Amino acid sequence: MPKPVPADYVSRVLKPHDFDAFWDDVLRQAAAVPLDAEVVPDPLRTSDDVEVFEVFYTSLDHVRVASWYCRPARRAERSPAIMFLPGYQMDPPIPKEWARKGYIALSVAPRGKLRSNRHFNPGYPNLLTYNIVDRHTYAYRGFYVDTWRGIDFLLARPEVDGTRIGVVGSSQGGGLTITTAAMRPEVRAAAAGAPYLCGFMDAIDLTHTYPYEEINDYLRLHPERRAEVENTLAYFDGINFAEKIACPIVMNIGLQDNVCPPETGYALFNRIGASDKQLYPYDGHGHDAGRSRHSAIVDRFFAERLLSER
Amino acid sequence: MVQVPLNFREYWRETLASLARYPACPEFEPIPLRSTAFATLYGVRLTSVGPYRLFGYLSIPAGTGPFPAIYFSPKYQSVLEIIPQGTANLIRSRYITFSLAGRGQRNADTPYAAMFPGLLTEGIGDATAYIFRSIVADSVRGLELLLTRRELDPARVVVVGNDLALITAALMSGATHVVAAPALFYKTAELAIRTHAYPLEEINDYVRTFPALAEAARRTLAYYDLRAFAPGVTATTLLMAGAPGTLFDGQGLKPLVNALTSQVTVHESEQSLYRDGLYAEQWMAARCGISDLQRILPEHWRD
Repeated sequence: MPKPVPADYVSRVLKPHDFDAFWDDVLRQAAAVPLDAEVVPDPLRTSDDVEVFEVFYTSLDHVRVASWYCRPARRAERSPAIMFLPGYQMDPPIPKEWARKGYIALSVAPRGKLRSNRHFNPGYPNLLTYNIVDRHTYAYRGFYVDTWRGIDFLLARPEVDGTRIGVVGSSQGGGLTITTAAMRPEVRAAAAGAPYLCGFMDAIDLTHTYPYEEINDYLRLHPERRAEVENTLAYFDGINFAEKIACPIVMNIGLQDNVCPPETGYALFNRIGASDKQLYPYDGHGHDAGRSRHSAIVDRFFAERLLSER
Repeated sequence: MVQVPLNFREYWRETLASLARYPACPEFEPIPLRSTAFATLYGVRLTSVGPYRLFGYLSIPAGTGPFPAIYFSPKYQSVLEIIPQGTANLIRSRYITFSLAGRGQRNADTPYAAMFPGLLTEGIGDATAYIFRSIVADSVRGLELLLTRRELDPARVVVVGNDLALITAALMSGATHVVAAPALFYKTAELAIRTHAYPLEEINDYVRTFPALAEAARRTLAYYDLRAFAPGVTATTLLMAGAPGTLFDGQGLKPLVNALTSQVTVHESEQSLYRDGLYAEQWMAARCGISDLQRILPEHWRD
């Protein structure tokens, strides 16, 4: 049997003194870019019960970001919404299942993902280390903003009840759920699974699997840049965003997760600022983080916080 | 019983003949960033039917070999991985690994970029033009190329993937073992109507939008049904089935198991990527003579 994972693991990531100033500046730059949203019906994917649209909006550096947007065909005048955030290698799915549960659903393809890679395409592998020595041009600077702009898109939709927005995702989607819940107070409930992008520098010692292994590859070739890499990643580490989270949140991790080490999951959860937070650690599970058992918990969590106000 | 098209053999013989008209003309480019003390990684460009230039990642262990090899046939996603996410990088110290992007996937997306969802129904109304006819040829070409490596032990060649792994092993000799997780081409039309989940939902979307082409799509899919390929598989096979009660569970795959004439093991998913992944790693290691599996497992899976 694998060794037990310490629940009191403490990440060695330090929060830069100008962390908030850095992100305030990024948000200021983003705010200057009009969203310029375009909503295009997709008759091929639309069915009797779910309307499907392709959505495009503009984000930081004027990069055009694609998303899938689904609406229940039968819905209230203003409905709750879920934003789904994708895994590292995943092609963002059409979130029909969320629409069937009664939510308006947006599935974002941040820059570099399929359908959002015309202006920015570092490739996979490579995204994780793209400009990793410079926080001002690091790949995830725009990538994070792309997801936060999804909230702006939802808030602009007349059919969305802006007081009932939730965010969900696993792996990279879990990490993005953390950063989005932290930076967008409009998020009223969040569910993060097996969060990636949390405890980067811990993870590269705890595991030697891709995608984190991209950083080890980079440092093997450029050992002299370690301090710069560590410095950049501190601005993007979900653990440093966590204390800003105020909304109710559930998190699930797999104790045999070979992709996102469970130690970093514990370290992250312990730093989440919300008082209404719950961690579900699943023994005997890897990067699935117990999804088969946990999905009902997530459904109930969102239903109680978002659907019940109807 | 599956209705195998009368010209099934001819259809695939023609496909392979078209492939044979184009030599692979491989280029191997070392990638220092992804090379380690225990393995060297190469980016490989090679030609497939069309002609179309493909891309793959080939990792060769340090040492003299011969080494067992794992061929990761094209996945149903845009991204091409060096080794599957979550696999310990150290696996590259014991196995040659080769992962291939079929046409349309990243690094093989010029001039054709595949969409996900979308690829499964691309050209499905005409069996001669269906995109997967070329992608199957791509996958065969990948295995062909791997088998040319002098470092490889031809007695230990594992093909890992979805339906394409089994189809590739059926169409071409050289694979000694197969680890396959059916998802696309097993009773496709029949199972699609029982789910709303992609990728099979693509079939439902297509049939709903183009009802006049539904029968043509069904005819095309008959050329790809795993049951029709099963008698051609000689490799020892591990079928990764879905969890009990799901579309591809052990019970559901029984007709496929019965059609396979090779030695077959069925692992029904325990809905844990750890337990299922560990099972597959152990199965491959046992058959490839890897005696120190613990060393090449992910840290969180080791005893």
